[in-house]
Amino acid sequence: MLTRRNAGKLIAGAAASTTLLGAGLGSARAAGEKEIKIGITLPLTGADAEGANRIKYGALLAIQQANDSNAIPGYKLVPVILNNATSTAGQYDPAQAATNARKLVADPAAMAAIGPEMSGDGKAMSPIYSEAGFATITPASTNPDITNPKFGSEFDPSGKAVYFRTVTTDAYQGPAMANFYSDVLKVGSVYVLDDSGAYGVGIADTFEARAKEKGMKVLGRDRLDPMQADYTVSLTKIKALNPEGLYYGGVMGAGSKLVKQSYGILPQKMPKGGGDGLLAPEMLTSVGFPAAEGWYCTIASPHLTENPAVQPFVKLYESTWHTQPDDYAITAYDAGLVIVNAISSLVKAGKPINRQSVRDAIQASHTNTLQGEVAFDQYGDVVNRTVSIFQVTKNTNYPLTDIIHQFKYVGSAPTS
Amino acid sequence: MSETTVVTQQVINGLSLGGMYALLALGFTLVYGIIELINFAHFNVFMIGSFIGMWVLQAFGLSGQSVLLTGLPLAGALVAALIVSMFGSGMLGVAIERYTLRPLRGKTGSAGGTVGMITTIGVSYILFNVILLGFGADTKNFPDPLPIIQFKVEGANLDLRVILIWLVSIVLMVGLWLFVQKSKLGKAMRAVAQDAEAARMMGVDVDRAVIMAFFWGSALAGAAGLIFGLYYNFTSFLIGYTAGLRAFTAAVLGGIGNIPGAMLGGLIIGLIEALGGQFIAVKWTDVIIFAILVFILVLKPTGLLGTMAPSKS
Repeated sequence: MLTRRNAGKLIAGAAASTTLLGAGLGSARAAGEKEIKIGITLPLTGADAEGANRIKYGALLAIQQANDSNAIPGYKLVPVILNNATSTAGQYDPAQAATNARKLVADPAAMAAIGPEMSGDGKAMSPIYSEAGFATITPASTNPDITNPKFGSEFDPSGKAVYFRTVTTDAYQGPAMANFYSDVLKVGSVYVLDDSGAYGVGIADTFEARAKEKGMKVLGRDRLDPMQADYTVSLTKIKALNPEGLYYGGVMGAGSKLVKQSYGILPQKMPKGGGDGLLAPEMLTSVGFPAAEGWYCTIASPHLTENPAVQPFVKLYESTWHTQPDDYAITAYDAGLVIVNAISSLVKAGKPINRQSVRDAIQASHTNTLQGEVAFDQYGDVVNRTVSIFQVTKNTNYPLTDIIHQFKYVGSAPTS
Repeated sequence: MSETTVVTQQVINGLSLGGMYALLALGFTLVYGIIELINFAHFNVFMIGSFIGMWVLQAFGLSGQSVLLTGLPLAGALVAALIVSMFGSGMLGVAIERYTLRPLRGKTGSAGGTVGMITTIGVSYILFNVILLGFGADTKNFPDPLPIIQFKVEGANLDLRVILIWLVSIVLMVGLWLFVQKSKLGKAMRAVAQDAEAARMMGVDVDRAVIMAFFWGSALAGAAGLIFGLYYNFTSFLIGYTAGLRAFTAAVLGGIGNIPGAMLGGLIIGLIEALGGQFIAVKWTDVIIFAILVFILVLKPTGLLGTMAPSKS
């Protein structure tokens, strides 16, 4: 008979037997195969969830392919997916990211990681990884400070690079846009905004510095609070100053409201742009047309999703995950390829597999990826520093929320 | 833009901000006035009210920036959205009172005080997370069916919507004021506000008065939510959090529990935000607002128009 007393025992018994059964069935490994865990640390819930999930799928695809093709004989790669976002923050949370970094470092089977996406998380995670000599490859974090030797004591106390990137940094992304504004759009004066986040402030700073070098007048610099709803005060102020262009460093938290509200206040012809924070689905779903039309944005990598050579990957990604990849899903996949090749080269050379050897192998690697050959400099930055520019252009041949087709590729940014 | 134009525009911006804060502060201050409870959940009921309004308008086929209805059907859709959001939010408020606060009243003798306030913080987080987890964190594109009609004042743009916000706020404030002052239920609410025990002894249905206070306070939050969505054309799980902080400040500044105080407080906060942003910098807005709040409370702790809260005997 089911009473309160024996219900507890029954439940405990059921739980115990299910766990044992699950443990036996769950690890369907080939006999003798060892596990290598690869962390995937991204803000999978909250404000940046959509982009983060696309990145996750890119990384998972690389790991899945490595396992299916037995790229690392004798080993099975197991992804450990950790969420850097919390509900209190409503988006990426550096404190949670630090906890995730510690979790990976504490797991003896974890050898490397892909991520984080956000530089705010990167700043929190890098020192923890550095002390453990644990390598991570970020497909999207662009704040330059993390790999800058000037801040080595803060982000890389061990002195050996651990924060690798398959994207370039805002040290190049911000200035690239400034070059574009000056050389191509012929903008003489500009107003700069940021969203107070690590990424936004960083990229706005580098844009502003280069703008001044190019002879553009910077009429002002202000900060938008992503939690506030109303930016009309800032926009009225900007309108009164009458700049020839506007630059926004930040992500869609503040960006969506800025783009929406500037439509009614600033002249439509005024060039307005931002960094890779603006190349997000929200630009099309929350803002939409006509407000989003004409906004420029950059990404810190070459533009590949329309490249014919990359189409087989695009089709595979779409059929596996039922969504389209964006350029950072590709850099995530490439990050996965780098890790797989690094570990496989260790196995083929008969070297031991531990964090130090994996880190060293990644540092020395030259890997053929979708974005071409990927190699890293001594600080972990990718050697190929291409920045691509897009403009939101209404394309009625595709659904208006199609992130791949509503952002028109303008070209590679001028490098000086 | 000339100097007068800029200042005029910022004053208009400040008035529209202030109207929003005032509307939000009204329902909040009403509940405090009756049972001396700081109801933090109010601001997320506002957020849910805006989602309800969005769903109703989407059900009518309105979406994004395309105006599909005009004239009478449009008015009908808006009125329907208003009624549904007010009713939905009102019932949410009643549920909050019934299941989380009334048990406290039974056990501790009052629903107000610290325990009640902390309970409403908890409820607030629950509502916030339910929407976040259920509907995602991205900002939602709120239907924009209102025509854009702008008037020029000294070169500045005065949108019809700003006038509408103030019109609705004033109508609601006057309606609320009349209800509380003139109606039988309003009298019951004021009696409970003065002294719940004595009111009970005089035959007033205290429970019903409190339920009504929560219903109307939350219904006002819902109306504010719909208006927010129509004005800004977006909503998200976050809107309660920040609008709430400023509206709460507005209520306290004007005198918490005081209905005209909420309007005045909202107006002042809105103008500080706009003019402080223009002449100092937008990033200092919070510092300026809270500095002024602290300054005024130090001089006059009951707020500008004085609090109207249950008196203790």
